[in-house]
Amino acid sequence: MLNGIPASDGIGIGNVLIIEEHSLEYTPKTVENPDAESQRFRNAVDEFCKNTLEQANNLRKSTGDKEAEILEGHIAIIKDPYLCGEIEKQISDGQCAESALEYMCDMFISMFSAADDELTKQRAADVRDIKTGVLSILLGVQEVNINLAPSDTVLVAKELTPSMTAGINKDNIVGIITETGGKTSHSAILARALEIPAVLSVENAVSLLSAGQQVVVDGMEGIVINSPDEAQLESYEQKRSAFLTERRELENYRGRKTVSASGEEYELFCNIGKPDDAIKAVESDGEGVGLFRTEFLFMDRNSIPTEDEQFEAYKKAALILKKPLIIRTLDIGGDKDLPYLGLAKEENPFMGFRAIRYCLKNRDLFKTQLRAILRASAFGDVKIMLPLITTVDELREGKALVEEIKSELREKEIKFNENIQVGVMVETSSAAVIADLLAKEADFFSIGTNDLTGYTMACDRGNSDVSYLYSALQPSVLRLIKHIIECGIKNGISVGMCGEAAANQMMIPLLISFGLTEFSVSVPSVLKVRKTISLWTKQEADKVAEKVMLMSSEKEIFDYLKTVI
Amino acid sequence: MVSKQLTLTNAQGFHMRPASVFSTAMGKYSCDVTIKFNGSDYNAKSLLNIIAACIKCGSEIEVVCSGSDENEALAEAIQLIESGLGE
Repeated sequence: MLNGIPASDGIGIGNVLIIEEHSLEYTPKTVENPDAESQRFRNAVDEFCKNTLEQANNLRKSTGDKEAEILEGHIAIIKDPYLCGEIEKQISDGQCAESALEYMCDMFISMFSAADDELTKQRAADVRDIKTGVLSILLGVQEVNINLAPSDTVLVAKELTPSMTAGINKDNIVGIITETGGKTSHSAILARALEIPAVLSVENAVSLLSAGQQVVVDGMEGIVINSPDEAQLESYEQKRSAFLTERRELENYRGRKTVSASGEEYELFCNIGKPDDAIKAVESDGEGVGLFRTEFLFMDRNSIPTEDEQFEAYKKAALILKKPLIIRTLDIGGDKDLPYLGLAKEENPFMGFRAIRYCLKNRDLFKTQLRAILRASAFGDVKIMLPLITTVDELREGKALVEEIKSELREKEIKFNENIQVGVMVETSSAAVIADLLAKEADFFSIGTNDLTGYTMACDRGNSDVSYLYSALQPSVLRLIKHIIECGIKNGISVGMCGEAAANQMMIPLLISFGLTEFSVSVPSVLKVRKTISLWTKQEADKVAEKVMLMSSEKEIFDYLKTVI
Repeated sequence: MVSKQLTLTNAQGFHMRPASVFSTAMGKYSCDVTIKFNGSDYNAKSLLNIIAACIKCGSEIEVVCSGSDENEALAEAIQLIESGLGE
C-alpha cells in the first residue's frame, strides 16, 4: 500500500499507465544557417500554438473556462515578443533553436520561482510546460496521447502538466496518481472537476508501480493499493458503488437553495483553514464561509505574519468566494502552540491563556490582524468573529479595538467596510449562559460546539477514560444550544453553528426546531447537509425536539434520534 | 519621451490576464514602452517581463513611452490601467 494526499474523492480500480517524461536531451550545436534555424523555431511555435489551442478547446468542453484559460495563457507566453526576440537573436548568433529556447525559458523559470508571490511562482510551471512542449516538437518527440488510453486506466506520473490533463477523458481514466502536488494543485482541481479519484504526492509512484498492474486508488483516504487481492477488490468495489450512488443522489442538491421541507431557508456555509480552501468551498457549492480559521497563517514560520501578508490572504479568500466570509481572529494557545510567541507552558492550557484572552493582552499582534481583516473587508462580505468569549467585557474590548482601527484607517483614507459585523463564537459555557447579555452587543453568534461540549461536560474528548461524556447530544449541551439560539432570535441577530454538530444528521432536526439560521460545515459535507435539511419540515422537527428536551440521558436521546433519521 | 505615474488598482495586480491585456495592447505601437517599478525597468510589451516585475495592487508605477507614436501609446496605457485592465 502506498500513501499520499487524498485530492479527489472516489474509488478508482484500473490498470496502471505510466506517463514517462521523455528525455529531451540534445547536443547543442552551432548552426550554419541561422535564417533556416529561425524558421524551424517559428514553425515549432506555430505547431505548439495550434496543438495548445486545440487542447484548450477540448478542455473548455470538458471542464470549463478556467482550465482552458491556463492553456490559452501558454499561447500568450510563447508569443511574447521579448521572449521570441531574444531567442531569435541567439539563433542569429549561431545557437541552435533548442538551446536558445531552453536558455530563455530557464531564465524566466528561475526568476519566477524565486519570487515571493504565490501567483508568480505558479507561472514557473507554465513556462516549464511550454519549454517541454516546444522542445518536444523541435526534437520530434511524440507526446503520449492520453486521449487514446484504454478504458479503466489509472494514470501514474511524476507531475501532471496542464497539457497532459487536457487529454484526460472521464470515459477511460478511472484514477490519477502523481508524485507531486497537493489538494489545491492544478491536477487536484482538475481531477475534482472531472470527478476522477486522485491520490497525489505518492512518493516514488512511478518507480514503485509498473505498467499494466492493477491498482485501487482511494481518493478519500489517500491510499493506493497495488495488486489488490480478491477480498480487497470486492470490498473496494462495494465501497465504489456506494460512493457513486451517494454522489449521484447528492448531486441533485447542487446549485439549489438550502430549504427545509416546509420552506424555511437556511444559509449553508463552509469551515476553511486557508485562503485556497475558498476554492473548495465554491466547488462544493457552499454559500459562504462561516469559519475561516486564521491560525494556519501563523504556523510553520518563525515570526508573526505582517499586516500585508495577512491582508493578502484574507483578500484572496474574499475575492475567490464573492460570498459571506466570517474570519475568526487568532485562536492560539490551548493545544495550539506557536514557538515564536514564547507562550509559557501551562498546567491547564484549555483553561488558560488562549484565543481572545491572549489577543487582548497582546494588542499589537491583535490590532495587526484586525487591521488586515478590516482592509480586506473592502473586497467582500467580510465579518469578524471573536473566539473563546466568556464575558461581555471581552466583547466590548474587542469591539472598541475594531472601532479604534476603523478611525485610523479613515484618517489614512484606506478603504474598508464601515458596517463590518463583529460576532461572538459561543463556545464556552459562560458565553452560552450569558447569551442574553452578549446578544445585545454582538452582531451575530456562531456556536462552536466542539469546545462548548468539552467545557460544558468538563471532559477531554482525547482521553478515552472520559470521552464517553463528550457528545453534543448531552441534555446540558442541548439546553445551552437552545438558549443561545433563543437569545439570538430575541435580539434580532443571526445564530449559526460552526462546530461539527452542524453537520450531524441527528442534530439537524433539533437545530431547525431551535431556530438556527446558518450551518457551517466541512467542505465535503455541504451537499449532505443540504439534503438532510430538505427532508425535515419545521413541524416535524419541533415534535422531535419537544420529545428530546424531555429526555434525561444522552443515550436515550441518541437511541430515539436514531429511529427518526 | 512621455511618461506618467500611475497606481495599479485592479485587485489581482499585474498577473497573467491583466499583464496579457496590457502587453498585447502595447505591442501594437512602434514606440518603446517601459514600466518603471521599484527602481527597475520592465519591457511593457513583454508579458513575461511584466509578470516578473511582481507588481501588486496598489503599487505606484511609471509608464514611459518613447518613439513616434508615444502619445497614443501612453494614452491607451493610462486608459487601460485606470479602467482596471479588463478585470
